[in-house]
Amino acid sequence: MSAGASSLRSPDLSTRVGPLRLQNPILTASGTFGYGLEFAERADLHRLGGLVTKGLSLEPLAGNPPVRIAETRGGMLNSIGLQNIGVDRFLSDVLPGLKDLPPKVVVNLFGYAQDEYVRLAERVDPYEGVAAVELNVSCPNVSKGGIEFGHDPEILSALVRRVRSATGKPIVVKLSPNVTSPQALGRAAKEGGADILSAVNTFVGMAIDTATMRPVLSTIRGGLSGPAIKPLALRIVFDVAREVDLPVIGIGGIETVDDVLEFLLAGASAVQVGTALFRDPRTAERLVDGLRERLRADGIPSVDSLIGAAARPE
Amino acid sequence: MAAVDSRGEVLDVQALPLPYFLLRARVAAMEPAQPGQFVMVAGADRPEPYLRRAFSVYDQEPASDGSLVISLLGKVIGRGTEALAACVPGERIPVLGPLGTGFHSVADDASKSGRAALVAGGIGSAGLGLLAQALERARRSFDFFYGGRSAEDLVEAETFRRLSERTGGRLVRTTEDGSAGERGLITTPLEEGLRAGAGYTTVFTCGPHGLMAAVARIAAAGGVAGEAATETPMGCGYGACLGCAVTLKNGGYALCCRQGPVFRLDEVAW
Repeated sequence: MSAGASSLRSPDLSTRVGPLRLQNPILTASGTFGYGLEFAERADLHRLGGLVTKGLSLEPLAGNPPVRIAETRGGMLNSIGLQNIGVDRFLSDVLPGLKDLPPKVVVNLFGYAQDEYVRLAERVDPYEGVAAVELNVSCPNVSKGGIEFGHDPEILSALVRRVRSATGKPIVVKLSPNVTSPQALGRAAKEGGADILSAVNTFVGMAIDTATMRPVLSTIRGGLSGPAIKPLALRIVFDVAREVDLPVIGIGGIETVDDVLEFLLAGASAVQVGTALFRDPRTAERLVDGLRERLRADGIPSVDSLIGAAARPE
Repeated sequence: MAAVDSRGEVLDVQALPLPYFLLRARVAAMEPAQPGQFVMVAGADRPEPYLRRAFSVYDQEPASDGSLVISLLGKVIGRGTEALAACVPGERIPVLGPLGTGFHSVADDASKSGRAALVAGGIGSAGLGLLAQALERARRSFDFFYGGRSAEDLVEAETFRRLSERTGGRLVRTTEDGSAGERGLITTPLEEGLRAGAGYTTVFTCGPHGLMAAVARIAAAGGVAGEAATETPMGCGYGACLGCAVTLKNGGYALCCRQGPVFRLDEVAW
């Protein structure tokens, strides 16, 4: 193929992630983009492929006491504790401002019991502006949070099956990296009826203040995110994409166009950008532009042609 | 008011007595900050430290071309402040701002009468720079209480002396080692002033947590309202990461970066 000829055409950035059709593969990750509107004045929402809301519960939650975050080498620990406005306020106050924008709105849901996930899914099901639900079954920061759902294949499978019966929306299951075999959980999610996997959530970690000799975070443990986790997340995406027959959305320390390409090549059909938005609120739109430029320069016709290329035999 | 994520051109970094520095940067199209508001900045595009740092806008000067020259008063305490202090003229650094909710009482009619006490602990003086200027412009009299471990911590003493004296007020200094002003804590002369009938109707403070907590107690005991410019570890500075929770007396949390950094002294669970 002549790179010169194709470089004149604009590469096709669109991507199909199971039932979701996105204008480009760049989404913002849950818990890093607020509800979308926080960024309206600082970032150009229109250009994103999609955005994933802050995790929503049935009732509003106040979150964990301070200290909630700690910067680390190449990233940060957080223990926000799923502070959120509750699903009803999201649907009445926030969704109307997002629903007519080109990016697909994925609503991140979490509960403390299977019933709560089911009721959340029922609640958002009638809303056209909701393109998909993402089940947070892997948050490390709530004592009885979704974590047990994300660590036991049978429980996960049962949970997804129940949510499946509650909504016709595409179901994304966000996998925990804090397990021996994320791909086994991915298979369980598929058996339950999931449409898409997102991988991965944060890695459990901690930091200690050497001056006070105490853990920095009020909850002791927190979730590690940022560039520090990228190689770990990439490995999991590679394994999950190869071993589970579902489309994967890659997450973990993505900040540069090369990071995006790596996740696509590892088998992700799209990616979520998270912690990098804290460093620079325009990271996601910068990546959309940068990806287009890169594909044009390298004569790559489409995002689609890259997905999983690193897993194919030479 | 919209915060703008922009590039600031470093004009100079003035080395004050170590570890303090004053960084001036020209930022295109940034709206002037209200007293108490802040910016998120980083030393150029270095990969480390990963997150930007929150800095009060200490001083600012709008230019005729629509740009704003901001001054950030800093103290080198870690990798973030080190990177900023190491900036060289001409370097372009990310600046997001102005952010947060500043001092309310400045615009509050009821508080415009009576005198004010500004209480700074060390580098906390950075959070009171624009406020002192605004009070001076409004011809509202204030005393500036400036406390530190030793003389070099009172790095901007002369600026605050000038501003307070122009309003008929004065600068009061204390240091823990006695190298400037009275030996002791700055809360002692504040308490004495309140007791002696200095006529304060508002107390504004910025400094270490312990100082602000003490000021809140003293103000409450004296029946005086006040506000504090607080500080917490911050991820983003604009309300997305929810990492900068401040615990309120009502048991809830507020975000330092949005509802704050300035809070009423009586609403924070110190």
